[in-house]
Amino acid sequence: MKKNMKGILKLVMAGTLALSLAACGNNGGGTTGTNNGTDKANEGSTGGKKENITITFQNIYPDPTDPKNIIMKKIVKAYEDENPNVKIELDSLNTDQQKVKLKTQAASREVPDITVVNPAAQMKPFVDAKLFAPLNDMLDQNGLKDTFQEGILDFYSFDNNIYALPDGNNIGLVYYNKELFEQAGVKVPTTFEEMVDVVKALKAKGIQPMAIGEKDSWTGSFLFMNVLLRTNGPGFLQEVLDGKKTFEDPAFKEAADAFQNLIQAGAFQEGATSFDYNAGENLFKTGKAAMYYMGSWATGGIETSTINGKAGVFKFPTVNGKGDPNEFMLAPGSAFAISADSKHLPETKDFLNYFMINFPKETFSAKGAVGLAQKVEGDFKAAGYSDMAMEVLDMFKDVKGGDIAFDNTMNPATAQAHLTSIQNLFVKKNDAANVAKEHQTAYESNK
Amino acid sequence: MNQAAQAGAIKPSAKIKSRSKFSIGKTLVFILFGVLLVTQLYPLLWLLIYSTKTNEEILSGSFFSLPKSPQWANFQTAVESGNYFKYLGNSVFVTLVTMVCVLLLASLVSFAISRFRWKYGQVILLLFLIGMMIPMQATLLPLMLIFKNLDLLNKHASIILPYIAFQTPVAVFILSSFMKSIPNEIEESAIVDGAGVFRIFWNIILPVSVPPMMTVMILTFINIWNEYILAATFISSERLKTLPFGVNSFVSQYSVNYGAIGAFLVLGALPVVIIYFLLADKITKGMVAGAVKG
Amino acid sequence: MNVLRVSKWTIALFVLPCLLLYVCFVFVPILVSLYSGLLDWNGIGESKFIGLDNFKQMLFHDAVFWPAVKRTLMFAVVSMCIQIPLALFLAILLNRFVKKPNFLVSSYFLPAILSVVVIGQLWKTIYNPASMGGMLNQVLESIGLQSWTHSWLTDPSVAMYSLYFVAVWQFLGYHTLIQFTGIQNIPSDIYEAAKIDGAEGLKADWHITLPMNIPIIKISIVLAFIGSLQSFDLIMVMTGGGPAHATDVISTLMYNMSFLSMKYGYGSSIAAFLVVVCLVATFFINLIFNRLERKYT
Repeated sequence: MKKNMKGILKLVMAGTLALSLAACGNNGGGTTGTNNGTDKANEGSTGGKKENITITFQNIYPDPTDPKNIIMKKIVKAYEDENPNVKIELDSLNTDQQKVKLKTQAASREVPDITVVNPAAQMKPFVDAKLFAPLNDMLDQNGLKDTFQEGILDFYSFDNNIYALPDGNNIGLVYYNKELFEQAGVKVPTTFEEMVDVVKALKAKGIQPMAIGEKDSWTGSFLFMNVLLRTNGPGFLQEVLDGKKTFEDPAFKEAADAFQNLIQAGAFQEGATSFDYNAGENLFKTGKAAMYYMGSWATGGIETSTINGKAGVFKFPTVNGKGDPNEFMLAPGSAFAISADSKHLPETKDFLNYFMINFPKETFSAKGAVGLAQKVEGDFKAAGYSDMAMEVLDMFKDVKGGDIAFDNTMNPATAQAHLTSIQNLFVKKNDAANVAKEHQTAYESNK
Repeated sequence: MNQAAQAGAIKPSAKIKSRSKFSIGKTLVFILFGVLLVTQLYPLLWLLIYSTKTNEEILSGSFFSLPKSPQWANFQTAVESGNYFKYLGNSVFVTLVTMVCVLLLASLVSFAISRFRWKYGQVILLLFLIGMMIPMQATLLPLMLIFKNLDLLNKHASIILPYIAFQTPVAVFILSSFMKSIPNEIEESAIVDGAGVFRIFWNIILPVSVPPMMTVMILTFINIWNEYILAATFISSERLKTLPFGVNSFVSQYSVNYGAIGAFLVLGALPVVIIYFLLADKITKGMVAGAVKG
Repeated sequence: MNVLRVSKWTIALFVLPCLLLYVCFVFVPILVSLYSGLLDWNGIGESKFIGLDNFKQMLFHDAVFWPAVKRTLMFAVVSMCIQIPLALFLAILLNRFVKKPNFLVSSYFLPAILSVVVIGQLWKTIYNPASMGGMLNQVLESIGLQSWTHSWLTDPSVAMYSLYFVAVWQFLGYHTLIQFTGIQNIPSDIYEAAKIDGAEGLKADWHITLPMNIPIIKISIVLAFIGSLQSFDLIMVMTGGGPAHATDVISTLMYNMSFLSMKYGYGSSIAAFLVVVCLVATFFINLIFNRLERKYT
């Protein structure tokens, strides 16, 4: 039935177009001449001169003033110089829009040659629909696989095939402002209970204890999951998925209670749920808030802010004496995947291989190598990385496992319900049993 | 029943401004005008100041503050990194084509619905009304499929066509209800004079319909100029992108360049504001003139 | 009765270009959406036909859905009952008291053409808590109205009203412009005639301007209704529908379901609901105004 409809649709469309073009006299088509000649490449030619091809590279580095954009353009340029027959067309979008675009494209199997996806559960629907090409051969080709950190590629693998290559690998940390801590006469907390006390002490001195950008509700979830990681140990969500536990488990409720203690102690700024990520982070970066829980990717931004030199960092402490601070919230980054339907599959693989091989080097020299998914050779200290960056890099060495974010483990619908439930805690107190129930209901109805 | 009729039949003389007896009332009215002027114009001033601030100054969120030292570099960033001129050109092109097509196509249909003697006029109108309140996001997936099959993806046509299609329902609604109000005598006398359908449409109905067409034009403009969701989904090539891409290009995953956004918005709004104020007199005059011709 | 008798070909020439375009790029996609509403589909992979299950879930079991509908309709009611009367009043005053009103009308119109990004950012700095530099709360505090201060965008009991206010403010000038155009086209002879009958000033406005302007008011009402059903951008920028769905409207909910929760089928059934709301509303608006027009003109 669908095919029939397509046929009819095409016919009707053609008619409309002819008519409406005639009616308008001047329509959009005029400006787009250059795209076609290049795409018929693969069929006829084998030897001799290489065909000109265009590879579309959808990415989330849109800001030309951002180092990542600069690095990307540099590598792309170098590749184009070496391969004059290949043109890389960059479709740079901001994160939210890229997600919508990719989902829309995926629905009609129009995925661009290279795109960006999030790890694990978030990319699973795409892999299930066989939209991505396995990259194993390309990874083995010139040792690209060995440049990646141990285990990181697991988050992008399904049935022993690797489908995407990450640009980052981060851990959840608490940044703090040393100066403000001194003013309030408090020390770096070693337990969660101390942390709540520190919050109260700061508050008493009129200092905003913590900053958060809870309009982007994943920020609160990331913190909450770290509390849960302490009360339960790693793998809670997996155990729920395996049917060994439910959200009504005591460990989950304990986490919900502890998390609410922090909120009720007045840790976060007023109106936190209307602050987006940047507005929240900015409170910390301008010295208006004393603590900030975030992934280690925030390091670079803090270094270039006004509180550079005053900022320190500590591991998320134990909760009720439980947990191991060396278990972290792990945040494997967004990753590049290649469309299974790409018209130029070998060339696209070749380009992405080149891109990933050069990515760590370029990122290192642009001082953005904290939280990279690949191993970096080079002396960070000598390259001028800050003390805080060195501290963070040292913490990476202590990582003894941990958990990944909620939406990377659970399906999107359950994740949305979770995000809502946690965001709600910033507005009003809720019984831990209720929070647990909200989660369990959402999980069961979206299984 | 209707204004167009009267406007057509009677020559409007200068409007009678009431010689107000209550000067207190008058003062109050002008205070109201003044207050509104401030609240409605302030955003533009605020945006200008905003665009010269640093990120920290902007995010600190104070309402009246001035920047410590104006960051004119924001404008340089906006123009150079934000591809201002290329995007502006594309936006102007897309918006103009859309406006012209909407006006022409919608007035043709409205003319047919409101003036022709045929059975299906009301059915056609109803069909259009259904689409009036559909948000564009709801049609992203089906449109993607359609454009894929028509090989229209990543061309200006892939946004212009839905823009036109989405604006026509409201345009048809406004224009047809206006055209309905034009008295039949006008055509009858034209027919006696031997004028054909096209001449009636072009020389009689269209000139009278200038005011509602202005409304449609402004409406179309507002909806198209800042449209991003459709554009971001169907356009991938740098050389085809429109102004909203420029604004959003300064939003990265973990950082936003607010100053550059502000500067880009100023640059995006400025041509519009200038043209609008230059044409404001003509727009209103055109409306009156249109009424006289009928 | 219309007088123009024309051939089928002429009708086709006038109607078809626009109609085909509309059918292909709006109507067909809506139909496809309606069909998707019957599917259990994440928008990417395999889909399963589940009949009316999505609709049942939406209408009877979704705790978020009806509040969102209510807020959407409230949005429409607020703009119809506050914004448009205000705009009409302004337009009358402008027409009556100002010799060269173009500058004022144009200035009032300005916020409508500014990007929502700007509007959102501006109002956030107004609505923020006082401790974060929020202008409104600081003003309230400085005049001793501490108890009136709120966390305007994050307190679920007031957040929605804060959003209504911004929308009313942003499009006030837009409706003023439309009404003003209408009033300007009322011929002055009528006022002169009325003056002889002793109707002047506000009385003349009540008996002449208002009824004469009914068709234009109808346009404003419909536009306001459409605008409020589509109030998507403003809400996304200012609250994102939060905290915890407290400011979700139909369009944000639909977006959330289709693209974030990846329940595309469910999102489509919400879109279908929107089509129905729109049909019913258009029907009633037409009904009311047809009566009014018959009565007064």
